[in-house]
Amino acid sequence: MAERISFYDQIARNKRKSVFLMILVFIVFVALGYVISMAFTPGDFFFIMIISIIFSISYLLISYYNCDKIAVASAGARPADRNQFRQLYNSVEGLTLASGMPMPKIYIMNNEQINAFASGRGPRHAVVCVTTGALQKLNKQELEGVLAHELSHISNYDIRFMTLVAVMVGMIAIISEFFLRSMWFRGNDRESKGNAIFILIGIVMAILAPIAVQLVQLAISRKREFSADATAVQFTRYPTGLMNALKKIKNDKPMKVSKAIAPLFMSDPTRKKFQNLFSTHPSIDMRIKILEQM
Amino acid sequence: MTGIEWILIAIAAIIVITLIVYFNRFVILGQRIDNSLSQIDVQLKKRADLVPNLVETVKGYAKHEKSIMEKVSDARKALVGATDIVKRMKAGNVLSNALGRLFAIAENYPQLKANENFLQLQQEMAVIEDKIAYARQFYNDSILIYNNSCKTFPGIMFAAIFGVKEKKFLEIPEAQRAVPKISF
Repeated sequence: MAERISFYDQIARNKRKSVFLMILVFIVFVALGYVISMAFTPGDFFFIMIISIIFSISYLLISYYNCDKIAVASAGARPADRNQFRQLYNSVEGLTLASGMPMPKIYIMNNEQINAFASGRGPRHAVVCVTTGALQKLNKQELEGVLAHELSHISNYDIRFMTLVAVMVGMIAIISEFFLRSMWFRGNDRESKGNAIFILIGIVMAILAPIAVQLVQLAISRKREFSADATAVQFTRYPTGLMNALKKIKNDKPMKVSKAIAPLFMSDPTRKKFQNLFSTHPSIDMRIKILEQM
Repeated sequence: MTGIEWILIAIAAIIVITLIVYFNRFVILGQRIDNSLSQIDVQLKKRADLVPNLVETVKGYAKHEKSIMEKVSDARKALVGATDIVKRMKAGNVLSNALGRLFAIAENYPQLKANENFLQLQQEMAVIEDKIAYARQFYNDSILIYNNSCKTFPGIMFAAIFGVKEKKFLEIPEAQRAVPKISF
């Protein structure tokens, strides 16, 4: 058996890695901006920047303030009745006591697959949604493990963080797009000899940067899943619960959900067998392995 | 102003901001401890409120189990009458034990076990017991975080400046923590 991982260490390590990845995205952003401004006249550069920033900020604000409603609506979830789902409410209440969080709104989603998601811009505006399959197939400890994982996403401010990352990624994509498009109209009408190298670098970067940062975004998303697992153990002090839940999830059927909300879920709803650079979730086997060491 | 003056102002500003950040940190962490204690308190009181109802229900089926009923009622009285949180926690532990015994004894009375009201109370008590455990865990976590930030660098410096001291864990008697023995 491998050395035991303290969950405090695991949480701290995940946070450090996430910060590192954020810095990486930011560096790409700045480098891209620098190369483009060198390739173009500064006036054009600021124009591009201002438009893309206005666009992405308004996009951010709308989705940020409504993310819980959007998520619940696109999953087709309904509010859970307190009398009908008493055990579910008791479990969540216990976990909020363990984490010192306010009580989130609880939603139910009709689906046979064991799954759950959380959304909302902060602990005071949070929703937790579980599938009917999870309620039927998981026992109390397993369900608490899954709920604790979702509450961790809320208490770790994962939703806020991922929204920020998504916006930075979006901005880079927009700037690259603007740059590449403007190249078509420029042609050779100006003396661009001095800028030729920068234009070349700019084109290469404008093509590669959006792909690179998207990979970083997905890597952050996977890190956050590990981090939420670790925090879930901190709340329940019972890694076996979440571990058994993941084992059950592993043998579950795939589920059809909109691609937009798939990354929100507890585990990849499509149940792809292998993890790759484009996965939104780490492989379940890996998660189970880490939980076994806690 | 010269460059040196600007640098001095910047340094002073950084020092003031750091002091404010750390001062607030200690205050927030300290409040979290108080808050977690009051959460335990809320659950202890909730449970105490259910006790008279439970005793009444059990009396109807198990008249002979007077000693355990008295123990439960006494523990509840001690809890309700306790003036400070430490005493209430102690009384809460005594009540936990007494209730555990009561529910064990209830196993010998099939009619009681079949009683709707009793079952519901038993379930509610179990839920509250869980919540007390969770609230306690959060309390311990909060103290751990507070103490860690007092003891590690650079927090230890600011703790000395503000006169912040480590907090003690509430002592819960060892016997209470042990897993209850199950005999067959």
